[in-house]
Amino acid sequence: MGGVERSFSEGDPVGPLVKEITQEAINLFEGSSGESGPSQFTDEEAARETLGTSGTVASGRMSISFALELLRRHFGNDVFNRSGMVDLRFLRPVRPGDTITFTGEVTETSREANGLKVNVKIEAQNQRGDTTGVGSGSAIVPQAYLPPEE
Amino acid sequence: MVEVDNRIPLDWDALEVGEVFEKFEYTLTQDMIDEYRRGVMDPEAAFPTISHKVDVRQFNAKYSDNGSVNARCAFHCYNSPFPGKKLTVTAWVADKYLRRGKNYIVTEAVSVDEDGRLIDRVITHELKQPWEVGKKWEG
Repeated sequence: MGGVERSFSEGDPVGPLVKEITQEAINLFEGSSGESGPSQFTDEEAARETLGTSGTVASGRMSISFALELLRRHFGNDVFNRSGMVDLRFLRPVRPGDTITFTGEVTETSREANGLKVNVKIEAQNQRGDTTGVGSGSAIVPQAYLPPEE
Repeated sequence: MVEVDNRIPLDWDALEVGEVFEKFEYTLTQDMIDEYRRGVMDPEAAFPTISHKVDVRQFNAKYSDNGSVNARCAFHCYNSPFPGKKLTVTAWVADKYLRRGKNYIVTEAVSVDEDGRLIDRVITHELKQPWEVGKKWEG
């Protein structure tokens, strides 16, 4: 333990993180589980039949992955990959061709038994300024990573 | 040869909160991790398990329905999975609710690797009327 000391305060900005969504990226995401059948994410006809949309959409789980990256970059791999979480509500479809910008802000810090819990609000917007997802995330930063208390 | 669908047609009213599904096991390969990382454009992405949709996999293996769309998802990180390790997933129905006349089912799953390391926990709220997406955003 030890490493670089970090401090976290309410109002701290988190991000931004910008992702350009392509059908190729969606196909890679879907294919990475070993599933290769057509779905609303990879096949326009399946999307039309299931969702009633004119084209494919990206899985909400891709947005979860991006939110994980947003917070991991803020907290560091060592902290976030052991104690991080995100919780997003999906408000609008994300489609191939969209550019999604994820931003966050620290909303609260609280002392926990195993460190400082830092809460972050998260928002994702597309290139038109429409919100595609909102939610929150958090990580617990061990005391060893924090500046000494006064 | 036509595949026989032995799944049970979903009866939302009869579905029991707390139903635990049969455990699901798979081995996470380096190829899966690499493909996931290319898909999310993040060479350090540590939880490729999210793309495996393990919380709904056993649900979808047991029940047939008209599909679904992800309305909300929470993901908790505990330990990054290692390539080549077998993962065991326990998934269950965590909740169900009716909101604005639409049916939602909440599934939850935890993944543990073959060494007993807790990997992650995922909770998903699925809207069971997926055509609402087209009605709302294409109309």
